[in-house]
Amino acid sequence: MVEAISSTSLETPDLSTEIDESRLYNQGLTPLHPPQKSLIRLRAAIRAGFLLILAVVGEYFLQRELALPGGYIVGVAVLIALALVFILPHRIYRRWGYDMGTEQLRVLRGFMWRTDTIVPFNRIQHIDVAQGPLQRFFGLSTLIVHTAGTHNSIVTLPGLATADAEDMREVIKGHIRQDMI
Amino acid sequence: MNEAIPATDQQGDAVDSESPFQHLHPLSIILKSVSLLGRNIILIGVLYFSLFDQNLFYTGLAALAIIAVVFGITALVWSRFTYQVEAKEIRIKSGLLNRNNRSIPFDRIQDVSLEQKLLSRLLGLTTVRFETGSGGGEDGALDALKLADGETLRDIIRDYKSGAVAVEGSPSAALQEEESAPIFAMDNRRILVAGIFNFSFILLAIIGTIAQNLDFLLPEGFFDPRTWIETISQQDSINGLSMAARIGGIVAAIASLIAVGVVSGIIRTFIREYGFRLDRVDTGQPGFRRRRGLFTLTDMVMPIHRVQAAIISTGPIRQSFGWYHLKFQSLAGDQSGETDHSAAPCAKPDEIDPIIAETQVEQLPQDAEFNHVNHAFWWRDSVIIWLVLKITALGLGFFVHTGFFALILLAIPLIAIQYLNWQHHQYALTETQIFVRSGWWKRKLTMLPRRKIQTVDISQSPLDHPLDLATLTIGIAGGSALAPLRIMDFDAEKALSLRRQLLPS
Repeated sequence: MVEAISSTSLETPDLSTEIDESRLYNQGLTPLHPPQKSLIRLRAAIRAGFLLILAVVGEYFLQRELALPGGYIVGVAVLIALALVFILPHRIYRRWGYDMGTEQLRVLRGFMWRTDTIVPFNRIQHIDVAQGPLQRFFGLSTLIVHTAGTHNSIVTLPGLATADAEDMREVIKGHIRQDMI
Repeated sequence: MNEAIPATDQQGDAVDSESPFQHLHPLSIILKSVSLLGRNIILIGVLYFSLFDQNLFYTGLAALAIIAVVFGITALVWSRFTYQVEAKEIRIKSGLLNRNNRSIPFDRIQDVSLEQKLLSRLLGLTTVRFETGSGGGEDGALDALKLADGETLRDIIRDYKSGAVAVEGSPSAALQEEESAPIFAMDNRRILVAGIFNFSFILLAIIGTIAQNLDFLLPEGFFDPRTWIETISQQDSINGLSMAARIGGIVAAIASLIAVGVVSGIIRTFIREYGFRLDRVDTGQPGFRRRRGLFTLTDMVMPIHRVQAAIISTGPIRQSFGWYHLKFQSLAGDQSGETDHSAAPCAKPDEIDPIIAETQVEQLPQDAEFNHVNHAFWWRDSVIIWLVLKITALGLGFFVHTGFFALILLAIPLIAIQYLNWQHHQYALTETQIFVRSGWWKRKLTMLPRRKIQTVDISQSPLDHPLDLATLTIGIAGGSALAPLRIMDFDAEKALSLRRQLLPS
């Protein structure tokens, strides 16, 4: 499921429909780099795996102790796992969005608990571009922005193509003013 | 025991690189050992009761060994902690195993605060803390110096910040401050009033906890309500009393509970606010100097330009008597564990006005228009409360006792409180500031200059999407991370337009 995206452009033909659809859900903001959906799915699959193992173990012990007819716990766990891996990643991915304005950065995130954050560039204290091991595999990075606020002291934007993230960092660095608190 | 100075000249323009590395005052060993032992007194108690079978001799030996170890380690740590006051910075070397060499430039220090706990005061010592305004925690502390040394150090740093050259033995600016009147002070009568309003059940809770832990001393079933009900109904003497006397008894019990709450509130307030004094000082940079405390004397300065927002809190009863509590939010946390700096714990509005006038926060204009939030703030939560209470009441009523059906009546006061909270949740926007009111019982008015806004969030929980509502969260530098400035249950469209006004793109 890893599409080989080597260019920084997001408008490659076979993905444009997917991107247009996500623009419907994230208020027309720039969507994340498409491999992010695969990353979300991979992480969901790992969690689903753990869940299934726990369910099987729980089922086994319950069978031993209470001798109930089997299958309930595992059945529920399998349903949750299927939802996690097949239904949720797409919905979570399409709700993400960001907008690099001229003066501020806007980030939209969340499927159930939705948050829309605006960070003015002149409030940013410093910036990181981070990359975890799984992200490296997909060619993605996370932009981490630090502000002086206690709430939202860190604003993260994952799922960016590494080149995009570094470009954004350079643009924002130009705007950082000294001591705006 | 002064160490020879290593050749660190290349590290800075230190005019005076010959300043010696100094140790903290030797008595601080006693200070730290005593506090460490005090915390470990439970360990000694456990040893006494369990390990040595209440054998005094062995416990005594073990206690002596612990004391010796604690003193020894504290003395070792003391010998490895040195500090050096340069012309533009202070260097602290510390650590037994992990050597830490820290340099704090005076430029980064917002101010120096002096704190004296009871034992420190008896020994004539003080703890010097450097506030650097980096969120959460101070950057360096010298625990402890002689009081005179601490004040000299504070004056050196203040003189540096006010541009004067640091000369040893310069006359302290403290003398000038003593002569001018404080901008706000609390005499004992005022502290008493503040204490009465700080009704607290802490004493009751402490007594209750002690009683519970010593319950082997109390008769069986002391904490079981059923035994009480049985004994009371069995007592012929009580049945003989008239109805009036019984009611009188209950009233007396409630009155004594209230009395305990009031007394413990007064005691707590006295301990914290004794001798409260707020001065307007201008040493290096304009700020407020606050001194207070009965056992632990704290002396700190809050720079005015670091004030992010002003908060005036009160309650319905307090407000009818005209008492308000003024707090400032800034990045450095208050040492006593509060996130906001208390500037005037119990004051009338005409005493608060001059304090706020000194900061960059503006007062509420007379014609400010306050807007309410969406009604869903109260009816949505009311629906949830009512459902939960109904299910609980029905469940308990059917399975436990029919009396529990009455639980549903609890919905009436809870819903009323929700409605009152909605009434009191308002916001107003002026050219330069935003004002947010919240709470019916704990009333808060937050006054925030718009240029101090760091980020603005609009968030929607799963219950908000269908109603098209949102919560606006304003990030400011300082305050609590758990309870940031929020305007709840806004119409989503209005939230977006308000944000566009606050953060013009």
